[in-house]
Amino acid sequence: MSQPEAAPKPAPAKPAPAKYPDPVYNTQNGRLLMRDTRYWPTDLWKNPWALPSYRKAAVLLAALLLGAAAIATGVGELSRWGDLLKQTLDGFLDGKGFPTLVGAGVWTLIKVLIVLHIVIISPIFLVWWERKISAHIQTRLGPMNVGGWHGWAQTIADGIKLLLKEDVTPTVADRWVHRLAPVVVTAPAILAFAPVTFGQDLSAADIDVGALYIFAVAGISVIGIVMAGWASGNKYSLLGGLRSAAQLVSYELPRSFSIVPVLMFAGSLNLTRIVQAQAGYWGGIVPRWFIFYPVVGQLAFTIFLIASVAETNRIPFDIPEAESELVGGFHTEYSGMKFSLFFLAEYAYVLLASFLAATFFLGGGAPPLPVLGFIPSWAWFLTKALAVVFCFLWFRWTFPRFRVDRLMDFNWKFLLPWSFANIAFAGLYLLW
Amino acid sequence: MVTYFKEIATAAINTFKGLGVTLRYLFKPAVTVQYPAEKLVPFERFRGALLFDAETCIACNLCVKACPSSCIALENATNEAKKKIAKVAWYSIDFGKCNFCRLCEEACPTKPKAVWHSLDYELVFENRDEMVRLWKKNFDFVGMFFDRKSKEYKKPAGQIPIQTVAARR
Repeated sequence: MSQPEAAPKPAPAKPAPAKYPDPVYNTQNGRLLMRDTRYWPTDLWKNPWALPSYRKAAVLLAALLLGAAAIATGVGELSRWGDLLKQTLDGFLDGKGFPTLVGAGVWTLIKVLIVLHIVIISPIFLVWWERKISAHIQTRLGPMNVGGWHGWAQTIADGIKLLLKEDVTPTVADRWVHRLAPVVVTAPAILAFAPVTFGQDLSAADIDVGALYIFAVAGISVIGIVMAGWASGNKYSLLGGLRSAAQLVSYELPRSFSIVPVLMFAGSLNLTRIVQAQAGYWGGIVPRWFIFYPVVGQLAFTIFLIASVAETNRIPFDIPEAESELVGGFHTEYSGMKFSLFFLAEYAYVLLASFLAATFFLGGGAPPLPVLGFIPSWAWFLTKALAVVFCFLWFRWTFPRFRVDRLMDFNWKFLLPWSFANIAFAGLYLLW
Repeated sequence: MVTYFKEIATAAINTFKGLGVTLRYLFKPAVTVQYPAEKLVPFERFRGALLFDAETCIACNLCVKACPSSCIALENATNEAKKKIAKVAWYSIDFGKCNFCRLCEEACPTKPKAVWHSLDYELVFENRDEMVRLWKKNFDFVGMFFDRKSKEYKKPAGQIPIQTVAARR
């Protein structure tokens, strides 16, 4: 060290002062958030309760469930509020001197709007939930930022993005069919919700052939998917559409036949009557739901669930879209709002399938224990439906995709014979 | 007949096994890090952005000679007699050229090292001027860059070094 201008040096060489905070602070709210996750968290996974955030999340989840139950109990039966609304409406319209037809029309319109919004708004929640479930199955966190709390607004942001996106129509596409296809897919999905019983005395149209109507109307969507595949002018889309037609038509059969035992037990196609047939408890504990009928009930429910997953084109039965084989299947050439209409239809059908499973096999709005009868029927119905939706998501993130021929084999050689056999079992059960 | 039912039973059991695995993992804490809020500290020998300490440097030019991509340049400081002293007047590293090989750090004879790799992996540049990092007498370890538009030295923005001092040998 030869410094010419050297003044009297400080005796010990002081270590250079840290010119940056160390370790790094969090950019959000300045808290220290660094975790040492360089190693696979084996110890943490053995006892996750040691993690404060895990305990907090469990408490939060329990609080949410209890809060929802409390709110539902406070609101009470929705049919009561509906009756109140109808009385007020009728009184108001009678006072103004309108004919009764106007009152009926307005009331129908209100019911239609409510059901329509159930169909349209539910995907906002379902998509978010699906992303969360998939993320946590893969030990990720999923969307965390949009909206503040666990990314709850992520789907809304995605929806806005889809709305603002350019709507591309390929030059080789059949323009009108291409434009019409999403409508043909979505409209039946909304129509099929009409006779669904959402709880005690709670359905938009209480028609006597409800079950038949739902399956008939939902079947129309296949045409839309084939139209989409054909009109895109793309070989992958065409293949997707054709596969979809084959799959949906095939799986329609076991799905319909699997509920025949239910219809036999209930003696009606009316969803309200089917729910009423499941009221009561065996020995005061086990509910008389159709899923608890020995052998027949479980078999029918399993077949219905599998066929429903196939009907809604979801993994493991998603060969119509099969990203790895067909790019995106029938919706490859769709963008923006048209694409989101296909998605809306898919989620509407998932919801419909879970509503139907809850109605046919899980006793509709009946509480699982007589003690829990204070929670209103619509809350129980929603809980059961969401449990079935969870099964859908669970299957999706567990199983790999079927090969096309195995998919068909599984349907024609396993599900369909067993659904026929199940009808025979149900007949024996009724005779005996 | 027996094999048929056995097959069905095996398939069902295996299906439920798979479902059990996913359900178990559903309730395990996530292993991912929410990046902008939480940051992982890299391993000790991670070669992040280079830092430089003008106080320690003896302007020996070893790092300049060691650098395979010749991204380092320096100039000796001089005393009043215009004679070179063992200090740098300026020292610059062009991160556009740098290939993060640690040869400069290995060549550095001082203790502690005058030039060393931090654990900072957040090296981001918006234009070419930012890539050329420059150090003078009283600059921070992280240095400055010369913005040719506004003709002034600026601090590299948006860069938060991770454990800058711990990595120094």
